[in-house]
Amino acid sequence: MNLNFELPAAQRSAFKPADGEEIRYCSPCDIGTDGKLTHDRYLVVTDTRLLVISGTTVETELQLSDITYLKCDPLVNNGLLVAKTVQNPEEHILARFTMKHVSRVAFVAKGALLLRDGIKKQVISREYDKTCPICGRALRGTRECPKCSHKPSVLWKFFKLCGAYKLWLFIIALLMVGVAAVQLLVPKIQQVFIDDYLKPGRGGWAEIGVYAVIMIGVTAVTILLHVLRYWMCISMGTKMSMDLRAMLYKKIQMLSLSFIQDRRPGELMNRIVDDTRQVRRFMEEAFAGMFSCLISMVSVVIVMMTMDWKLTLMSVIFVPIALGISVSFWRNIHRRFHMQWHRFDKTNSGLQDILSGMRVVKSFGTEEQETENFKKLTGEFAKIQERNEVFWASLFPLISFVMGLGVYVVTYFGGLGVLEDRFTVGQLQQFINYTWMLYGPLGWMTFLPRMITQLMTSLERIYDVMDEEPLIRDRENAKDIDLKGEVEFKDVTFGYRSYEPVLEKINLKVKPGEMIGLVGASGTGKSTLINLIMRLYEVDDGHLLIDGTDINDLQIEKYHSQIGVVLQENFLFAGTIYNNLKFAKPDATEEEIIMAAKMANAHDFIVKTPDGYNTYVGEHGYSLSGGERQRLAIARAILNKPRLLILDEATSALDTESEYLIQKALERLTANCTTFAIAHRLSTLKDADRLVVIDGHRIAEVGTHNELMEQKGIYYKLVTAQLQMQALKPEAAGEQAAG
Amino acid sequence: MGFKNFEGADEEFNLEQMEAETDAMLRLRYLNAENATFARTPGGFVSLDIVGEADAVSPEHYDRVRVVRSFPFTAPNTYISIRTTEEKSKEIGIIKDITKDVSKETRKMLEEQMNLRYFTPVITKINDIKEEYGHAYWDVVTTEGPCKFVIYMNSSSVVSLSDVRLMISDLDGNRFEIPDYTKLTAGELKKLDLFL
Repeated sequence: MNLNFELPAAQRSAFKPADGEEIRYCSPCDIGTDGKLTHDRYLVVTDTRLLVISGTTVETELQLSDITYLKCDPLVNNGLLVAKTVQNPEEHILARFTMKHVSRVAFVAKGALLLRDGIKKQVISREYDKTCPICGRALRGTRECPKCSHKPSVLWKFFKLCGAYKLWLFIIALLMVGVAAVQLLVPKIQQVFIDDYLKPGRGGWAEIGVYAVIMIGVTAVTILLHVLRYWMCISMGTKMSMDLRAMLYKKIQMLSLSFIQDRRPGELMNRIVDDTRQVRRFMEEAFAGMFSCLISMVSVVIVMMTMDWKLTLMSVIFVPIALGISVSFWRNIHRRFHMQWHRFDKTNSGLQDILSGMRVVKSFGTEEQETENFKKLTGEFAKIQERNEVFWASLFPLISFVMGLGVYVVTYFGGLGVLEDRFTVGQLQQFINYTWMLYGPLGWMTFLPRMITQLMTSLERIYDVMDEEPLIRDRENAKDIDLKGEVEFKDVTFGYRSYEPVLEKINLKVKPGEMIGLVGASGTGKSTLINLIMRLYEVDDGHLLIDGTDINDLQIEKYHSQIGVVLQENFLFAGTIYNNLKFAKPDATEEEIIMAAKMANAHDFIVKTPDGYNTYVGEHGYSLSGGERQRLAIARAILNKPRLLILDEATSALDTESEYLIQKALERLTANCTTFAIAHRLSTLKDADRLVVIDGHRIAEVGTHNELMEQKGIYYKLVTAQLQMQALKPEAAGEQAAG
Repeated sequence: MGFKNFEGADEEFNLEQMEAETDAMLRLRYLNAENATFARTPGGFVSLDIVGEADAVSPEHYDRVRVVRSFPFTAPNTYISIRTTEEKSKEIGIIKDITKDVSKETRKMLEEQMNLRYFTPVITKINDIKEEYGHAYWDVVTTEGPCKFVIYMNSSSVVSLSDVRLMISDLDGNRFEIPDYTKLTAGELKKLDLFL
């Protein structure tokens, strides 16, 4: 999303920048003080000032240093920029804007506050605009308007992509030329037959027989060529979409988590599945047809010209007219059926709504009412359907008539030609056939622009991902070290968005083999700290050292293979327990796996299942409880004998007994392995060498359990609160049972 | 009710406060000319003073309040909720009928606030509606000036609020209203036909 619009000349003239003062942010504010929509009002933030400029007058001018409060207040269908300043300490309105700019202004306000505090970091927004700010065209999930950006176009990239399939394309082109040639040949054969043999006394049984055989042969060749061509196109389309899918998948895996988290989960899925399918469909349905239509139309016109150029011109004249009429017809039809489809969708979701809410309907006794509602919905749908079908049925023949106008003209004037002996009957027949070949594909060709646009949007979305540069990748000369397990944070600052720090100036040195418990309210950055150690994100400021080496200089894959991670929600892949455990160490022996499972207190429940370690888990397999999942995840994490173990709420879904057992087992394992553990149940962390309390983006307290209890700080409060909760629980449960 | 036994015994949890919050949540307080005084603030908002509460410990004063419609589409003048401005906005009180319960001056003041909050230009003239690849591009004249916007071609973009009243939502989430589409000219109706 663009946060720095080009300020138009009029507004620019109103604003006199000092030496070296630059516009840092600029956003339109499209509602004036009178509540009317306007186009010439802008919010401008420079290095030192904030201005609202309307036309050529500066409405508001504030020194950034005077601002004490600045916020975008989103209201219903519009937003306000509200401020407090040293001179004017009450909240007051600076600017008003429609929804188009609400999120933009929110970012600009953040940027202005950063500038006020002397932080020059440019705020950027990864959100996408819904419509192009320049041309107003709707954008579909791309950063830049394809029409306005003028960058080396997607079409060019697409041609480059096609370059990899040169041989296929060559064969397809040959086949298309073959099809066109055979199509041209058929009317010629008919002409010869009609003029030379189909006259009394000229031909006999033999000639008709030969003609029939030739026609059968030609038809067979045509069919064969068509099949071959479609086959080639389909396999090329499939191959192409497969390649694209693989490329996309690889790219997405390489991209850092921040890229994936900025997007809705379905969105990337759509890009891999839907957009590549769109490319395949285009290659299959449109690509070949497009060129073969062109080839056959051009060759038909050439052949017709050699026969009679005047008649050819007469029949060609109607092509643009027929094309125009058919475009508008299809557009209308499409609109109608599109709305019908949406109405159908609405009826469907209404039905689904009622069926899934049947319990509620029945318990409130509103069956009658719902029946009425549904009847109304289907009634509306039926009405639209009827209207559309009638429209289709009455207009389609008319369109066919218009499309054939050229043929009628040719028939008339050609017929006159035959009577005047300028043509033979066979030649007329041949000419009429060619004219049909000219008009036949027109209807289909009107769909082409739509198909091409669809292809382009899909390609744009695909390349939007492909062009993204992964933020985290191996540096040059990345080091491949065997971990000892020392972790050191030096002034580490990090935020998922650079202007919203989640962790600030973290300093912590962890010795190899130490167990660190991370404590703090939710949302304080415990998991973020762990994400940094896992190197899913890169620190913004400061250094994170592993065994004295900057984490960014380590080889990512090698580093990851030496750390074990257990999260609260653990993902198991569809497959057997055995395969899921082996995921961490593909060459693990059965004995190693059993030992790891035993250590995670998982061996017993695994063996109890009918298929043991070969039990299939996943969507259609054996369903595991939350505790069983966690135990498998722990086994998976420790199988590799990691030097660095990360436990993020790893035992939260377990009952106290198995938690105790696992803890005992982990204790032995973690003796020489650096461990970071997060737990809400503080008793889980009682064996930690040190506890680190995170509060307000910073480390608030560090020490052992006893030390922190003596300090009576945040940790003390957390512990007492949890003890009280536990005291309350059994009582409340008892009362409930009694009442 | 089981928590009652713990009252007082457990200060950390402050169950009394929770009870008080529940009471506050259930209270429906009507504001009118007698108990509420609204005033314009220099910053363009309104402030509120509440007087005459029998059990009020201290006089209530709010520097800025939000004026929110409970039924923005069906009853824009009744049940106006007056709320605090912080993120977890709390209700201070409700004005049952803005046309009867408060003075003309106050009504004007509150209506200004509501016009600020709800920005829904009314479409007075449709110049053009162009459909292109799943989106419809509208070019209209509204009570707030001429305007161009884009909507998705689906049924949730144009919603009928009554038999004749339409509400249109664009891609960005702006809303536009047509109070009575039967009053449009035949030419405009034809352009709109697709969405009815």
